[in-house]
Amino acid sequence: MSVSDATTALTEELAARDDMIVCEGVNKWFGDFQALDGITAIIKEREVVVVLGPSGSGKSTWIRCINRLEAHQEGRIVVDGVELTNDLRNIEKIRSEVGMVFQQFNLFPHLTVEDNVTLAPIWVRKKPKGEAEELARSLLERVGIPEQAEKYPGQLSGGQQQRVAIARALAMEPRIMLFDEPTSVIKEVLDVMKELALSGMTMMVVTHEMGFAREVADRVIFMEDGQIVETGTPEHFFTDPREERTKLFLSQIL
Amino acid sequence: MTVPMGDPAATAAGSVEPWAGEREPAQKPDEPSLSAGEWLTKNLFSSPVNALLTVVFSLFVFLVVRGLLNFMFSEERTWRAVKTNMRFLFTHAYPQEQYTRIWVCVGAIAVLSGLSVGLLARVGGGISMKKLSMNLMGTGAVIALGIVLREPSAIVDDEGLALHRDVSEAVGGSFAGWLDSNAFTVLAVLVLANVALAVWFHRQDTYLRGGPEPRIAHGALVLASFGVLMVQQYASGEVVRESFADAMLDRAWWWLAAAALAGAGAALWIGLGDARRRHTFVPAMYVFFAVAGVMVLSSWVYPWGHYGFLEGEFIAEPGSTVAMTTKLPWTVMLLLLVATYHLGRVLRAARAGPKLRVPLNLLWVLTPFVLYWAVLRDPDLDWDHVLSTDLPMALFFAAFGGLVMWFLAHPRIGEAGRVIAAVLVAVAALNWVAAYLGWYPMLQKARISFLLLAVVALLAHNFAGDRSQRMKLVAAWVATMAVFHWLVTLVNSPSTVDTPTDALIGGFGITLIVAVFTLLLAFPMGVLLALARTSKLPIFRVLSTAYIEVFRGVPLITVLFFFTLIFNLFLPQSMTLVDIAGATIGFALFSAAYLAENIRGGLQAVRRGQYEASDAVGLTTVQRTLFIVLPQALRVSIPPLVGQVIATFKETSLLAIVGIFDFLRIADKVISAQSEFLGVKREGLLFVSFIYWLFAYNMSKHSQRLEKRLGVGER
Repeated sequence: MSVSDATTALTEELAARDDMIVCEGVNKWFGDFQALDGITAIIKEREVVVVLGPSGSGKSTWIRCINRLEAHQEGRIVVDGVELTNDLRNIEKIRSEVGMVFQQFNLFPHLTVEDNVTLAPIWVRKKPKGEAEELARSLLERVGIPEQAEKYPGQLSGGQQQRVAIARALAMEPRIMLFDEPTSVIKEVLDVMKELALSGMTMMVVTHEMGFAREVADRVIFMEDGQIVETGTPEHFFTDPREERTKLFLSQIL
Repeated sequence: MTVPMGDPAATAAGSVEPWAGEREPAQKPDEPSLSAGEWLTKNLFSSPVNALLTVVFSLFVFLVVRGLLNFMFSEERTWRAVKTNMRFLFTHAYPQEQYTRIWVCVGAIAVLSGLSVGLLARVGGGISMKKLSMNLMGTGAVIALGIVLREPSAIVDDEGLALHRDVSEAVGGSFAGWLDSNAFTVLAVLVLANVALAVWFHRQDTYLRGGPEPRIAHGALVLASFGVLMVQQYASGEVVRESFADAMLDRAWWWLAAAALAGAGAALWIGLGDARRRHTFVPAMYVFFAVAGVMVLSSWVYPWGHYGFLEGEFIAEPGSTVAMTTKLPWTVMLLLLVATYHLGRVLRAARAGPKLRVPLNLLWVLTPFVLYWAVLRDPDLDWDHVLSTDLPMALFFAAFGGLVMWFLAHPRIGEAGRVIAAVLVAVAALNWVAAYLGWYPMLQKARISFLLLAVVALLAHNFAGDRSQRMKLVAAWVATMAVFHWLVTLVNSPSTVDTPTDALIGGFGITLIVAVFTLLLAFPMGVLLALARTSKLPIFRVLSTAYIEVFRGVPLITVLFFFTLIFNLFLPQSMTLVDIAGATIGFALFSAAYLAENIRGGLQAVRRGQYEASDAVGLTTVQRTLFIVLPQALRVSIPPLVGQVIATFKETSLLAIVGIFDFLRIADKVISAQSEFLGVKREGLLFVSFIYWLFAYNMSKHSQRLEKRLGVGER
């Protein structure tokens, strides 16, 4: 099967699924600097999308706009059928459906690992405490660190913290997971992310980790200067990119 | 109680996988103990310049300590004034027949302290034997030094007056007389000799690498300087004093005490050996029990004398032991403390600590209110009014509000909850408008309670959850109402309950009461102000900034005068604030401004990522503030907060100026006006300073432990 055949097949298969994230002409400025310039993209259910691009290209800003950590100024963002506006209820609804894993993990340093994971289920999902604790234990098991539940984040290594951050996001039982440049991607974390992808989670991953993009991604989006430059399957992207800018980027990074 | 030494093999094995293993810190190998000579070389005489600094500053310390000792132990001091007025100093004119209440309060604090320390103190922790023995030897040495430094006692005549002499006649011509007139020159020569010595050895390049000669020479010169100062002191006075040898003999008991302490310390030091004295720990409370035990025991056997001032009569029985009304309660207090400490240990051993932590903290917060009641309740309290009006009102608000909270915290309440709360807020606001227009007369207490209810209802949906979460919210509301109604009934008189006034208690009691209630009020206010100042809403920001700047720009004493003298004119006719309440509110408003600035510093230290992470998991602003931001901010601001707590505690001495009989005022004005002790002030002031210092020092120590436990700076 040739690359273009594969792309066509994927496109057809994806077209049949529901839209999870729809962005139409999204513009955003920080002061005079335009961070996002006419971003238009549709991400389907159960799709795993990797966003690549040089630093400062607007990748992080884009995924932070998707759960409204940053507000876009023009265009439309619709997540799972709910449009992002200043309406507080929409934001609450979307945040409880979108899990986010940060570059710096941003764990709560004064809470134990277990409390980090159970906090949101108890207070946002209004789960009974026992149920939330059970959920936390099974999630920590899933990311491979069940024995660290009683520790504080400061006592863990970077990779362990990253996995706690994933468990914390999963505890809200989100339909979409956003990964903002998971920096210390060690094998264990990659395994967890692959397992998530295989389980049918819709994922958007900003990363420099080409291995993950090659192995797991359904689609790769390349960004530069706040614009989407090129989109395609990993095979297409890594072997036969069309755009000059993409080729230049790949030549620098590979 | 012995902790095993670090095992190097275990440490090596733990570092195989940096991310998988626990990051248990490797146990540091013991640093070798230095001998006294090595310690001196390393710390006091490490270079010629350091040696000189040591010499100059030890002369300075010598002069200060000698001055203080001579002041304290002089024959001219009337310490009897303090002894006689002990009760005055601590409780002012608290009625003798009601005194049990005071002891109940002290007992309650002893019980809570014992339980808390017993529950929280680390097993196997405490003071190492090394530190203990060093402290014992050090105390012995300090006492011995004091014995030598203090000037010999004056020789008194039959009436107890010191004999005087003509200085020039008495010592003229003698060596002492010569030294007296040339003391400055001699000291200057000695200090310069120290300088020359340091420079010479330094030139020789043998200062540190050579033998101990330079340090021995320095030491000899320092001792010579001390000698000069002591002889000069002996020769210069106008009072006839006993000889130095007689003075040393007179202080035989002190020598014995010094020797006993130093001996005990030395025995521990030598008997245990290096490794064991480092790694054997004795709980800090046991050391405290030992010291307190000796003091309490001595009150039964040693003739400290029985002094007092009761119903206008001065009591002075120098030969007898302490009064039964003093030694018996203190013995009971110590026994209570020992018993509850051990109860705490037992509970800790049974792993009841985590379960008991919350109730214990709640008890600590509620105790001041109960004790305040216990101490200040007017014996002629209008019980009928309390039962007919205050109690039903409190119960109504507790029950009604509890129901509202239970309903509003339903997991699926959604928008409806916010709408209901908004209606309640509107009704509460209109109720206040009605109050200003003079419609619907209602007790202010009810209006305030309803406003509180509306505000809490507005926040209730943030705490929605399963049964146990909802019960917590209801319990918090009921507790708030209980405390609030209790306080208003006691402190204020909107409902015509006779309030206890400052006439009932004074002295250190009132100092503590005002300090504790100031802090209980000021802390929540400070947190709210800090949050308002960093809020996104301009109205909150402007108001809070204005408040903080106004209170920081006005002298505390004017705030106090305003609240004790002027504020009552603004209140409705049925309401008056007694002086203590007014002063407490003034202190609280003032401290809140400062606390707010400290907490704001902490808020700024919370990183942006924490806000983002809280938002990303869907926490509301209130939840984010309560669960994520404030805990971290408060932890960071512990050091400045404790500084403010100590400052507030000491500032209560301003109560003396607004006419309340606080600790300082008793020492300054009351004692010095008694017929027996006319004009005797300095002893009382020194004693008062000591007690203030004792409390402030302990707070500072405690905060250091707290910082360590919460790991400030590690994050």
